[in-house]
Amino acid sequence: MNYDVIIIGSGVTGAGIARELSKYKLKIAVLDKASELPSGASRANSSMIHGGFDDKPGTMKAKFCVPGNKMWHSLVKELDIDFNHCGSYVCAFNDDEVKHLEKLLEQGKINGVPGIEIVSGDKMREKEPNVSKDIVAALWSPEAGIINNFEAVNALIESAKINGAELFLETLVTGLLFDEKNNIRGVTTNKGEFLAPVVINAGGTHSGEISKWAGDTSFKIIPTKGEYLLLDRTTQGFIHSFLFSCPSKAGKGITVLQTAEGNLMSGPTATEQEDPEDRATTPEGLAEVLKGARRLVPDFPVRLNITTFAGVRANTESGDFEIKALKTPRGFVNVAGIKSPGFTSSPAIAAYVADLLKEELADRITLTPNEKFIPERKGIPRFLYLNMEEREELVKKDPAYAQIVCRCETVTEGQVLEAIRRGARTITAVKMMTRAGTGRCQGGFCCPRVAEILSRELNIPLDEITRHGGESKLLVGKTKEFLLNKGAE
Amino acid sequence: MNNNIDVLIIGAGPAGVAAGIGAKKEGAERVVVLERDWDLGGILQQCIHPGFGLRTFREELTGPEYMHRFIQQAHEAGVEFRTNTMVFQIDKDTNAVWTMNKERGIECLNPKSIVLTMGCRERPAGAIRIPGTRPAGIYTAGTAQRFVNMEGYMPGKRAVILGSGDIGLIMARRMIWEGAEVEGVYEVMSWPGGLRRNIAQCLDDYGIPFHLQTTVMKIHGADRLEGVTVAKVDDKMTPIKGTERYVPCDTLLLAIGLIPENELSRMAGIDIHPVTGGPVVNDLLQTSNPAVFAAGNVVIVYDLVDNVSDEGLIAGANAAKFAAGKISPNVKRIPVKGGENVRLYSPQFVTGEADTIIYMRVTHPIEQACKVIAEPGLYTQRLRYARPGEMNEVRIKAADIQAKPDLKEITVDIQPL
Repeated sequence: MNYDVIIIGSGVTGAGIARELSKYKLKIAVLDKASELPSGASRANSSMIHGGFDDKPGTMKAKFCVPGNKMWHSLVKELDIDFNHCGSYVCAFNDDEVKHLEKLLEQGKINGVPGIEIVSGDKMREKEPNVSKDIVAALWSPEAGIINNFEAVNALIESAKINGAELFLETLVTGLLFDEKNNIRGVTTNKGEFLAPVVINAGGTHSGEISKWAGDTSFKIIPTKGEYLLLDRTTQGFIHSFLFSCPSKAGKGITVLQTAEGNLMSGPTATEQEDPEDRATTPEGLAEVLKGARRLVPDFPVRLNITTFAGVRANTESGDFEIKALKTPRGFVNVAGIKSPGFTSSPAIAAYVADLLKEELADRITLTPNEKFIPERKGIPRFLYLNMEEREELVKKDPAYAQIVCRCETVTEGQVLEAIRRGARTITAVKMMTRAGTGRCQGGFCCPRVAEILSRELNIPLDEITRHGGESKLLVGKTKEFLLNKGAE
Repeated sequence: MNNNIDVLIIGAGPAGVAAGIGAKKEGAERVVVLERDWDLGGILQQCIHPGFGLRTFREELTGPEYMHRFIQQAHEAGVEFRTNTMVFQIDKDTNAVWTMNKERGIECLNPKSIVLTMGCRERPAGAIRIPGTRPAGIYTAGTAQRFVNMEGYMPGKRAVILGSGDIGLIMARRMIWEGAEVEGVYEVMSWPGGLRRNIAQCLDDYGIPFHLQTTVMKIHGADRLEGVTVAKVDDKMTPIKGTERYVPCDTLLLAIGLIPENELSRMAGIDIHPVTGGPVVNDLLQTSNPAVFAAGNVVIVYDLVDNVSDEGLIAGANAAKFAAGKISPNVKRIPVKGGENVRLYSPQFVTGEADTIIYMRVTHPIEQACKVIAEPGLYTQRLRYARPGEMNEVRIKAADIQAKPDLKEITVDIQPL
């Protein structure tokens, strides 16, 4: 299959680049090994749109974070993504930490972060009465916010698809193809070869490995696990803003936030590890999160915990993003080491990558504007958030919207069917696209129902339905068959 | 046709169907039961094992058989049922109930009184924060029961069961019957969560090992569950180093507790008891909203369906009385308090309008002769033992309450003899 450009990885970076490049007349292939999006670090993170004061001036992070923040503020409207424009506080507990806030304030001003200021602990507690009384001061950043990261990645890729890009899931890139001049010709995958003169490496925690195939070993990815606690949505309003501790060497420290849907959440830890795929939570990690959460919010209601999870982010030794077009092989572009504030930066990174292609790879790819580019994308209706008139209208149009599938998040059959229409094939895909199963019963009620709908709509047996692709089948066979087979054995 | 409903009941499980019967018997004109599932019966539909109705019918019935008897009575009494109908909102001030159904669309009902009978749901794995991965193969026991008994599919071939709540015990046996292996049942407490009868009939009879003070420490496997690490815990429930053991399994079933399902009750602004997790009720099963009644596992989690049905009948009858204007807004509210070893109890207020039962559970087991009491001098009953997994009852006579006009408080307790 021949393309103009292949993007490896459909996290927020890859999906963002795909959407940006779909503004041009290009044949785009996006390849991701997962069965649903987002799957890597873009799924399991703090879902934070950062203000941009935390990054050292002169770094790529500083360059992209502030514009990225601004771009998201309009993208969430254009692409119909839930966003909680809540602002953030960095909390200081002592004089040393207050000094750190001053440094951040200074840095933020250089980076061009709008509206930041240091406020007293008391002033902060007027707005956030549940935070620790020991907080003496805090850095307020009004433009920070919290995004629905599941929705965001799916929105970006759907928008790219609306504008002609093609997405290939369960497609694992296994190597690069080179032409006789040793320039990029394409990639090999478990699904065969994909050919293109330009390959963009947005492989997240695997981006170092992929870069090595192209001969660039100038950076090393250090997979860094971050563990989280997620609480019931009845905790909505316990806090309002995104709360940071003062950062340490290990990262930005444990944060407490309210997700775009209203769940209280806390994390992440920062544990370096070898395995980019190890997303297991640990007793130590979860204990560290809880301790950190209670430092910021002493009455953090952990008894309302509904799940724990971990993400692995692509840290680099330099601590900065690794974005460049290689001189050799020509056609290979690294967009690697995208960790925090990667989600925030991603739209600005995508625009930068488009410029990079224009300026440095014009001999291999031509970016002609696509006049038919459609910027808007409409999300799957979120029944929970609609008012009664909107609900009535929706139900009149399609009665499937009158059948509740997930009772915790009030997700209807109509939404699940729409997710399947948009490509969902697994329980987790439906969850990412509709939030069915993200609530307090964690799929206890809706999982069998979603499985039945998937089975019916895709015309595949119930025991072939998987949780998240691969070998993650929900069931092992029919009851009596199972017993008979066992007898035969 | 939606605005002349006397009693509207939310949920057609055992409590809701009984409430319908109770309301009709009390003379309510129009009684409607809403059910989100396509069929009536609630969780009893999937409880195809025997053991139901020993008290009510003096027979050992399966869940569907037990429900069938009540459903028949309800039909005969003229109770209306609407299946595939979900209540998604109750307005606080007007008690308007918003429903959805594929055929009827969105409707707003304005009944004279409401009975909440939504039952309970199972605690998920996340509630106890088990570290490890998130593979397929981890189910609450009830979800697995649905797959096996309703859909006819097996969730796995080799199961570990965490928690010894009754559904977990029942599912241990069910998995064996279907040819799967059950490696063991693990319970973090030093006593079982479920009924002794189920320990005997579901575990002992099948040689399934039962490990008290042991829990699952870690979950292994990326796609499908590959195993769990179990460990012994001390009296503070802290894992004991050196007791960890890896158990290969493809299925982990959880029976780690049930939580009354009160999202709608909260929406309706009803006071929820912090310990039971259900609405605060008086012995008429009236909630903090006088037009709203509640019964069954939505109030407090029962062991026996017979009790749930009994409470449903009472709530339905009182809701009918309320709809007819026969319940005074000035009924007495004598608070009930729990003694030292009482974890939870319901109702929390007694009116003295009728004889009543206060249901309660102990915090710690008492493995010796003991007595259940209601002070001052309202009830005393000798027991051979008292266990958290088995509910106890205090019976209060209305006449005794009426005879004590200065009664300020009732204390229920269970004490060793």
